[in-house]
Amino acid sequence: MKKLPARELGVGLVLFVLVLAVQLANPAFLRPENVRDLLIQCAPFAIMACGMTFVIILGEIDISVGSMAGLLAAALGTWASPSHGGRPLLDCVFGVLFLGLALGLVNGLLVVFARVPSIVATLGMLTVLRGVTELVLHGEWVTDLPPFIRQLGIGVSGGVPNPVLVALLVVAVSITLASLTPWGRRVYAIGSNPEAAKVRGLPVKQVKLAAFALMGLLTGVAVLVSAPQLSVVESGYGTGWELFVVTCVVVGGVSITGGRGSLWGVLLGVALLSIIRTALIFLRLGDQASYWERAIQGVLILTAVLGDRVSARRRAEVGA
Amino acid sequence: MKALVPALLAAALLVVGCGPTSDGTKTASGTGAPTAGKKFKVYLLPKQKGVPYFTSCAEGAEDAAKELGDIELTYDGPTDGKPEAAAEMIEKWVLKGADVIAVSCNDPQVLGPVLKKARDQGVKVITWDADASQDSRELFVNQATPQQIGYGLVDAMAKDLGGAEPTGQVAIVTARLTAANQNEWMVHMKERLKKYPKMQLVDVKPSNEDQKLAFEVSRDLMKAYPDLKGIFGISSVAFPGAAEAVKQAGKSGKVLVTGLATPNDMRSYVKDGTVKSVLLWNTKDLGFLTIEVAEAVAKGALKPNAPYFMSHRGEKKMQGDNVLLGDPIVFTKDNIDQFNF
Amino acid sequence: MKAFLGRFRQEAVLLVLLAAFVAVAWRLDPTFLTPKVQGTLVKLVLELAVIALPVTLIVITGGIDLSVGASMSLAAVAFGLAAERGTPWPLAAVCALVAGALAGMLNGWIVSRARIHPLIVTLATMSAYFGLAEGISRARPISGFDPAFQSLVAGPLMFFVLALAAAGAALWLSRTVKGQAVFAIGLNEKAARFSAIDVDKIKFWLYTLAGTAAAVAAVSYAARRNTVKADIGHGMELDVVTAIVLGGTSITGGRGTIGGSLLGILIVHEVRQFVSWHWERDEINLIVIGGLLILALVANSAFGKKTDSA
Repeated sequence: MKKLPARELGVGLVLFVLVLAVQLANPAFLRPENVRDLLIQCAPFAIMACGMTFVIILGEIDISVGSMAGLLAAALGTWASPSHGGRPLLDCVFGVLFLGLALGLVNGLLVVFARVPSIVATLGMLTVLRGVTELVLHGEWVTDLPPFIRQLGIGVSGGVPNPVLVALLVVAVSITLASLTPWGRRVYAIGSNPEAAKVRGLPVKQVKLAAFALMGLLTGVAVLVSAPQLSVVESGYGTGWELFVVTCVVVGGVSITGGRGSLWGVLLGVALLSIIRTALIFLRLGDQASYWERAIQGVLILTAVLGDRVSARRRAEVGA
Repeated sequence: MKALVPALLAAALLVVGCGPTSDGTKTASGTGAPTAGKKFKVYLLPKQKGVPYFTSCAEGAEDAAKELGDIELTYDGPTDGKPEAAAEMIEKWVLKGADVIAVSCNDPQVLGPVLKKARDQGVKVITWDADASQDSRELFVNQATPQQIGYGLVDAMAKDLGGAEPTGQVAIVTARLTAANQNEWMVHMKERLKKYPKMQLVDVKPSNEDQKLAFEVSRDLMKAYPDLKGIFGISSVAFPGAAEAVKQAGKSGKVLVTGLATPNDMRSYVKDGTVKSVLLWNTKDLGFLTIEVAEAVAKGALKPNAPYFMSHRGEKKMQGDNVLLGDPIVFTKDNIDQFNF
Repeated sequence: MKAFLGRFRQEAVLLVLLAAFVAVAWRLDPTFLTPKVQGTLVKLVLELAVIALPVTLIVITGGIDLSVGASMSLAAVAFGLAAERGTPWPLAAVCALVAGALAGMLNGWIVSRARIHPLIVTLATMSAYFGLAEGISRARPISGFDPAFQSLVAGPLMFFVLALAAAGAALWLSRTVKGQAVFAIGLNEKAARFSAIDVDKIKFWLYTLAGTAAAVAAVSYAARRNTVKADIGHGMELDVVTAIVLGGTSITGGRGTIGGSLLGILIVHEVRQFVSWHWERDEINLIVIGGLLILALVANSAFGKKTDSA
């Protein structure tokens, strides 16, 4: 990774100002236990955002992840719960990972071999998978997740909550993958100029297929650490996550047309978007402020995106 | 491509050639009074399909349809809970020749006019679970009014907090901010809170029907308001989400959680003491009674202001145009294992 | 014939699809096809169709507008608040149109001036507009509009507006220089800029138009249901994109027709209503609609490959 590019500065700045303002208003905000909870809150989105970053750098997008998470959670629930499948831990974990991988592959195949634009293929999958989830659960929710599954979400290993540990691992692997491996370089090369990449003989199809499969796999990982945090697996699990994750990635400075962006920026994006809601609660504005919550969120996202662009222009002018 | 169009056309013609199947020739007229031996077409609309609460209501309804024998029951509703989608379904059912439509009204503003139109076309309309305006339906199968629910929630919290004058900060985690039912309950909750001047409502947060969000919001509320004494989780996912947050924060018994939910969803929290009491009625009985009332209305056997309604499950009180299900059940540690829904 | 099919390939496929659908529907449940049923159901899709017109143009330029549902909510709330204060309905409708147009203008301005990708811009404004609608209305419903307004707008007026707008959009797109410029932008924006097309101006007005169309839809909804709330446009954006893409407009820009979008809307609408009519299980609908979208595009790209190389 090069030095933190100025591209991420806009997001970093908004994040910093927000945290500072809330901390001044309510000193409880940066207490260790709240920081810990915030990290747990970010973990599943950080995991999925890693996968999404590769997909978007390749110039593609995956908006099926919300429904995919819903189906994977339903699968985890029905396999694990004693009143349904009653399967052991490893069966469930590998089952979810494998199913995630398979669903990701389906997306990839649709995009790469059936040549359906990714936004459309995954939009279709978003709808289909939510329907399948409803059919799988047929109006019942899973309410008896066994303790060994719950442990994945609420357990602590070596003083670090499991979701955070897994997220750190995923982030470390992803950053290595992006900056130190040939595969990572190919992702950037293909994303910034697909035609040139083809001419140079890069395996465009394989790389894209792998990126979608990775996205599916990581959605599985995210579900494994997030669904067990809660006691109930419902059919609406993961609704809206697709837009949240995409927003995190683009706010983090990844170019939606591909080729540019870094995982560091994406992590800042995840942090900013996850913190906004908590920050608003800590400001203790009372119930009337709740009605403006979404507007504030929207304006902050817009500021981060615009700020990035304005600073980029200034840099360009200075450089010229 | 050239081959595709004729091929598809040929296939289409083939299908058409077979002509309509016999079960497809039903006409859309449902307005005439059904003769004996004919089955009544009854449509049961939940606020949202795919939610355990309504699924168990539907089970009760199916039992009733079997027991009565003259009911052709259809249970369907929007899986996303959108009132507009519900309105479209009702309009379709009218066209399909429904005899009775039983509606759990997600949004009286949107569904009210649609129901009135249905009645104008001769369809009998009853409401169940959540009422619409009085002129848009014939009868309401009443398990609890919004006022009873709102007051009941606040009173339960007051009782759980204890003392002659229940004291402490409380917060509400609702569904979406635009959810009509929850908003109505909140009006009554705020009204009832005036009776307990030392219970202070500090915040109302939406959970957007997302259990993870309800969980995180509740956790943040406890930290932002360290003196918080109670959380109302007033949607089917807000309640377990809030309870889980309290439990994980190690505040079971110190921060009280209350709300409406099925016993199955809340069993573990009631057993470990995070939740002292869950207020709900028997959902299967509610579904059962709704179908019985639908049958009676279709036959013209039940009018408003009747003294009582004779159900297979015993005599039910009437109050004007409301058929009362009876008192809600309070599920506690001691009795929750007797219920499975 | 070949040239005709080449140009209207997607429309031809859609028409065949529609014919097949009619055949299946007639076989399974002919009541569904009676004028009475269709007449009632078609009213439910007018708003989606009105929004789809300008969004089709935007998608042809290679852009997208995910904020149309939110703009619709915002405009609806503006209408409601104005009507609630006793404003006569034509003036309240103007308020709604202004609110929608402003929402669209902001999108257009950011997209064309700051040159940020429209997906990002409208993703952000979607949440801002929904939030604004929730905030100014306190998320409460506003109901009870002028009965004259209801019967006029929800009745013939909306059909008229849609027909006029659709015809206008189709003619503009195929017969005018500006319309051709829309395709040029979608095929190659840089080249379009070099050939002295005012790309920024066209984009700005297309997004403004989308916001305005969302407002028209909002007013129509208000008339049809006699109530508005901040969540009425929820999910509209994805429905619109689904229908447009099914209608043969390329999501990457450069290709598409108004007729195709209208056919796409009609097919999604008919299939959705029929599944719900015949099988009465809402969850199946999700699978059918999503599956239809994927299959149509897989088929399109499979056949497209053949005709391209031919």
